[in-house]
Amino acid sequence: MANKRNATMNVALITAVAAAILVWRPTVLINGLQSAGLYASIAIPMGLILGIVHIVNLAHGEFMMVAAYITYMLCAATGMDPFVAMVPVALVTAAFGFVIYKLTIRQALKAPELNQLILTFGLAISMTQLANLLFTSQTRKLSFDYVSASLDIGDLSFGVYKFVYIGIALLMIVGLKLFLTRTTTGKAALAVGQNPRGAAIVGIDVDRTYGLVFALASALVGMMGAVFITSASIFPAVGSPYTMKSFCLIAMAGIGNIPGILGASILLGVSENILKAFRGTRGWADIVFFVLIITVILGRSIRGKKA
Amino acid sequence: MKKASAILAILALSVPAFAQSGNIKIGGTWPLGDITGKQGSMAAQQAVDEINAAGGILGRQLELIVIDDELKADKGAAAIEKLVTVDNVDVLMGGMASGVALGQIPAMKKYGKIVISTGAASYKVEEALGADANWYFHLHPWDYNQGASYAQGWDEIQKKYPAIKIKKLFLAYEEGAFGKSSFDQTKILFGEGGRYVVDGAPFKSAAQGGGDYGSMLETAKAFKPDLFLWAGYDADALPMLEQAKAMKFNPGVYLGAPPGWPIGFQNSKLANNVMLYGMWAPSINDISAASKKFYDGFVAKYKAEPATYFAPLSYSAVYVYADAVKLAGTTETNAVIKALEATKYASPLGQTITFTPAKIIKHQGIKNQKILQWQNGRQEVIWPFESATAKPVYPFPKWK
Repeated sequence: MANKRNATMNVALITAVAAAILVWRPTVLINGLQSAGLYASIAIPMGLILGIVHIVNLAHGEFMMVAAYITYMLCAATGMDPFVAMVPVALVTAAFGFVIYKLTIRQALKAPELNQLILTFGLAISMTQLANLLFTSQTRKLSFDYVSASLDIGDLSFGVYKFVYIGIALLMIVGLKLFLTRTTTGKAALAVGQNPRGAAIVGIDVDRTYGLVFALASALVGMMGAVFITSASIFPAVGSPYTMKSFCLIAMAGIGNIPGILGASILLGVSENILKAFRGTRGWADIVFFVLIITVILGRSIRGKKA
Repeated sequence: MKKASAILAILALSVPAFAQSGNIKIGGTWPLGDITGKQGSMAAQQAVDEINAAGGILGRQLELIVIDDELKADKGAAAIEKLVTVDNVDVLMGGMASGVALGQIPAMKKYGKIVISTGAASYKVEEALGADANWYFHLHPWDYNQGASYAQGWDEIQKKYPAIKIKKLFLAYEEGAFGKSSFDQTKILFGEGGRYVVDGAPFKSAAQGGGDYGSMLETAKAFKPDLFLWAGYDADALPMLEQAKAMKFNPGVYLGAPPGWPIGFQNSKLANNVMLYGMWAPSINDISAASKKFYDGFVAKYKAEPATYFAPLSYSAVYVYADAVKLAGTTETNAVIKALEATKYASPLGQTITFTPAKIIKHQGIKNQKILQWQNGRQEVIWPFESATAKPVYPFPKWK
């Protein structure tokens, strides 16, 4: 009963804050939600790996970068739209992720966490440098008319295209929920994530499950890489800032809490845009990011201690 | 004993002659992971090969030794140490980032080798060099030179084309040192005497993990500028235009000042009539034989177009030094410095390079930048008028 009342109060509070922001400056909410969609849809695949394989993949952003370059080459050569290209690109990145898992990650699963971090950090650097050698550091960008789609409400004109990222994040959340709760492989993955030894005892092939989850997450981040090029320029180092951001969003949401990643992203996106709305605090967007993480993690550990 | 003394005397006399034989060594430092440095070093090699194919200088061949500074000050400083003490180069060349140059200056001061710098725009580098660095020849304009030349350029453009009226200027600048320094300079140079009303807002560049320009563009739109200028990186160019279009932000002049432009920028429908600041564009081939020679040679050698002005600038650095050695008749430092002071090199940048005093240093090469405009897929020079390849298209067309 108390939980229900708390949940109702939270919903009422969030609605009131959103309404207040809308009245005060609607673009803060619009830009905040659009940024949140992008952050969440990149972070969710990383959350899947962290929740089940229990490894922090510091090459996560680089997987997206590789997918973005594959999409760019495919679209530039064939004139294909990235939303069509995302299907073959996802298949390629899934295979790539599976191979990377088998060749490297798998070997380090039982190693100390620091070794795992160094391994994935090494993968990230290798991918960036290879992209630099193949494509140079000069940026690339394809133009699509629909990216500039806008909506006018009174005097206010704003872009609507980036709401697509919120849609992708929601699709990922629903899709993963269905996969993890309704399919045998998904249920096996959940079991492995909760207790790999117990899962192995009941006959689940843990290594195969890890490989499949890694491939699935790589496919999802590959799809995001394909969509990413519609609105952003690509260059070899484009992925790395998203790795850290994704990891921190997962930490804010709590490991294994996939829908929570979207919530954390909205909190971050809207907070960043509130600061950007004031002349004196425009450059503080990165600070709010770390303040939020510290606050959430500290709050959680204090609550944990009390419990 | 007499015999030994005679041998020693002969050896001693032969040392200068030995030092003046063999290849003339040029030590270059560029950030090779970045397109500016990569193509800068390629263009320098192109110049070296051209000079060698024509017989070299003073009967000697040029040799270019390149070290990657990785855009890091410590790597840049170590590169200078190695080039001077291990490779024993005759001249130091190259550079792009001011931060790297600041790290290199102590080593440069220690050895006093001639330096022909192709980068480092920050006035802080000039302050670190001091007035005594007579061995330092700076080809790239300082940041205050750039700002002053833009102010002069817009004054002259408005005088020549009365339809162009600029009073309110908005500068969107990336949050880093480059953007902030650009904003400070713009406020001083354009704001003085109330000639222009200047406002600005920072944004996080896509190159640094940003790429959301919504709040910055909202501020710019509310200011209603006649000239919208953004100082960021190539990664910002198209996404910012796309967001400006989505927000129906239509300034009279839309101008970008990144160090380079993304591959294929000109193919975007949004790119047409965007203005830019720069030093060189392939369109200068139409008015400059030196530019055409450089461009054709680069494309033939590397099967790629020079993407930024750092390529012709680095190419020029080699020729400037080679001409000075030829004039001096030796690679001896003081003689070459004297010869460099007499430089008059018709560069591929569409202007003749000479060295005149800057605020602090004695040897400043180029002081003016150019105002250009993307027109039908080409960067056309709008100002200075003596290098112009097209008339400006004004105002920036309304979004369709």
